[in-house]
Amino acid sequence: MATLIRGKISNKLSNAATSVSNKSQAKVSGMFAKLGFQAATDEEGLGFVACDDLDYEYRQGMQMDILSTDGAGGEGAGGAAGGESGVAEGDSHYQREGTGPPPSTSKDGGVCEELAAKDNPKITAWEAGWNVTNAIQGMFVLGLPYAILHGGYLGLFLIIFAAVVCCYTGKILIACLYEENEDGELVRVRDSYVDIANACCAPRFPALGGHVVNVAQIIELVMTCILYVVVSGNLMYNSFPSLPVSQKSWSIIATAALLPCAFLKNLKAVSKFSLLCTLAHFVINVLVIAYCLSRARDWAWDKVKFYIDVKKFPISIGIIVFSYTSQIFLPSLEGNMQKPNEFHCMMNWTHIAACILKGLFALVAYLTWADATKEVITDNLPSTIRAVVNLFLVAKALLSYPLPFFAAVEVLEKSFFQEGGRAVFPDCYGGDGRLKSWGLSLRCALVVFTLLMAIYVPHFALLMGLTGSLTGAGLCFLLPSLFHLKLLWRKLLWHHVFFDVAIFVIGGICSISGFIHSMEGLIEAYKYNIED
Amino acid sequence: MPRSETFPRVQRHAQIGSKPSIDSISAIKCEFDFQLKTANTRMRAGCGLTYTCAVAAFAMWQSDVMMKLIGCRTLDSARLQRLAFVFFSILSRILAEQEVENLSGLSPNPDKDIFVVRENGTTCLMAEFAVRFLVPYDVLALNGIDLITEQASIALPRGAEIEGKCGNAEAEVQISWINDAYVFRLFFVKEVHDSSKGNDIWKISKVQLLYDTSEKTHFINAYNPGKHTASSHRLSALVTPAGQSYECQAPQTLTLISTDHQKGVTVSLSDIQIQPFDITSDFTFSPAYKCITDQREQLEELLPLILGIVLGLLIVITLSVYHLHLKMTAHQPQLPRDRSLYKNILQF
Repeated sequence: MATLIRGKISNKLSNAATSVSNKSQAKVSGMFAKLGFQAATDEEGLGFVACDDLDYEYRQGMQMDILSTDGAGGEGAGGAAGGESGVAEGDSHYQREGTGPPPSTSKDGGVCEELAAKDNPKITAWEAGWNVTNAIQGMFVLGLPYAILHGGYLGLFLIIFAAVVCCYTGKILIACLYEENEDGELVRVRDSYVDIANACCAPRFPALGGHVVNVAQIIELVMTCILYVVVSGNLMYNSFPSLPVSQKSWSIIATAALLPCAFLKNLKAVSKFSLLCTLAHFVINVLVIAYCLSRARDWAWDKVKFYIDVKKFPISIGIIVFSYTSQIFLPSLEGNMQKPNEFHCMMNWTHIAACILKGLFALVAYLTWADATKEVITDNLPSTIRAVVNLFLVAKALLSYPLPFFAAVEVLEKSFFQEGGRAVFPDCYGGDGRLKSWGLSLRCALVVFTLLMAIYVPHFALLMGLTGSLTGAGLCFLLPSLFHLKLLWRKLLWHHVFFDVAIFVIGGICSISGFIHSMEGLIEAYKYNIED
Repeated sequence: MPRSETFPRVQRHAQIGSKPSIDSISAIKCEFDFQLKTANTRMRAGCGLTYTCAVAAFAMWQSDVMMKLIGCRTLDSARLQRLAFVFFSILSRILAEQEVENLSGLSPNPDKDIFVVRENGTTCLMAEFAVRFLVPYDVLALNGIDLITEQASIALPRGAEIEGKCGNAEAEVQISWINDAYVFRLFFVKEVHDSSKGNDIWKISKVQLLYDTSEKTHFINAYNPGKHTASSHRLSALVTPAGQSYECQAPQTLTLISTDHQKGVTVSLSDIQIQPFDITSDFTFSPAYKCITDQREQLEELLPLILGIVLGLLIVITLSVYHLHLKMTAHQPQLPRDRSLYKNILQF
């Protein structure tokens, strides 16, 4: 009798042990499955099977159970002992709870994402950081010492303040992507800026917001691409004045070098370019700051002013404030991150780094040349360093091009080229996920379009200032605060509301002032041209 | 008022905005002829029709008045004037038919002017350019002691007098205005290196400017006014193969040293076409030799076209290679990732 009881107890214990070990094993293999490692079966088979619910449940009962628990938000009821009972438990769980379809879609999406992972791998937080740095530490850093010349300490303060504000607006923009579900967890319900805009205008104009944001995004991204082509052509032309190559020819050569961008498939490839771009920018900073430090004896500390030059400073405001615009890229960056919870940390660190580097660069360069500081700081450098810095600037411009180009291609493909009649044209991607030939030709056409605009549009920098003050300010300051207020009104504390309103007002002022000054500059430039 | 015709060699269509000077009848007549004949063709300008129409218009006028009114920079000795005009009127009929297509519109450059030296009834030296002189001169300062250097910018007015001398190996042209207050001289020399190879060249050997600082229109309150001469030292400019005219759109600058305390006078020539030797037919330039700056500009303008074509070819090749690559590697029907794409397979 005692042995029988002992046997039963030991059986129960061993059952419990096996069930625990099985459950932990299942949990582990479920985690592995989510991470993309296929445990037993080969990829092709698992892929085909995985997209079929019944087969999947039959073979991977425990895993389905675990994933269904995760997807449905913590039932924790799974725990059956052993495979069969697990299947039975899972089956009954499936039938009882009726949670089949939602977990299947999320699991379907999740496992299909694993398969898609090899075509569209997730980026790490570091790579997202390089991308954001590429966006916020752009070519305009060369104009910052000039801004300090006309703005003094206010310019420095503005550099820091703009970093803080843009970091905050980036975070609230991403917060608009998430909604709390009935269990209090944050779920990513929207995917892009366009979705947020549509959700905000939802009741009356379901598509208007999306169209506005689409147009603004496309304009901003394409103008950025064109600017990089113009800048690289200009820099090369100024570096080699003795060659008979004009600025147009250099732009064409630069475009030929940028043609491989048409083959970009995912953000991971773009992140590599952004990394190289950040390195080039770092080298430029180091070179200029080192040269300025070598003249540290002549620094003019007393020349940094407390008052501002009212006529010239608004342009400097434009340069400082709109150089931190990275909000266009943030939704897709965050959506492609492996660990989205690292997003806030990444934003903080990139903006702090940008702020410190920019402030240091601007201050040190201004102190070295004081009143002789030119609009573009490289004009002040002696010719040997200038040649080297110019080359690195050209490299930086060319390496910065892929990010806005890829983002523009994504926006265009999502809005105009979708499968199933959701948009005007058919999908650019074939059934196997590879780009179709005419999709590639459209990308090449976009590259050539940026080239043509770079060659034939005069005074491009002024034009960019004009559009930047509208679209850049809108996408960077006005719209995030507006959407944040509208979508998350109920959850905001009073200081959030205050910040949002303040940012909206300040952004509006900057936008209007930038618009007015750009128009003035453009009109003057055209008059001068006509008189010529 | 004397008037000159401009004989542009520009490649552009006539610009109405430039100013023909106001010698009424000849101007009107010539413009009338212009409109009739020129249209939109690009042409090498000969002297022909403009001269001829001016001449024809004034065929009945007195010779002396005629000379000045036409304003052609022609050199004729006084005795040959009548014969020259008879010759001109005959020539005008002939040239009017022949050289219609040589006419081009008015030059857009108001400074540009043509200077012709004729000898023995034929042209022996032709020069067409726009020139500007920057002459420094001393002015007494307000304190009465110091001397400040001012700069006078002088342009050649219309109706300057031309004299010249042609030769086989040397030629010169002298342009004077405001009653010889200013005289501008250009000296050309032809060098024969190796007559068998044909390496002959001609060039400007000397440039001279005589100016009088007491002349009031350009020199204001000059200190110690007087005549000065600015000459070039060992100059070798506008080197051209013999038998060709020199053509250059880009401005060229020469510096002359003046006798006025060795000040530097800047002569800036632009839109040049000059031929001092070997002019084969009357009032026509021989084939032009372009200066290096112009050639470079031509290359600079040609290069974007070439590069654009190369870029286009590159794109086409890339697209076709990619297309072929897709076709080659897409035999197996790929299983769709997404169940919604099953319908594409099941459609047959």
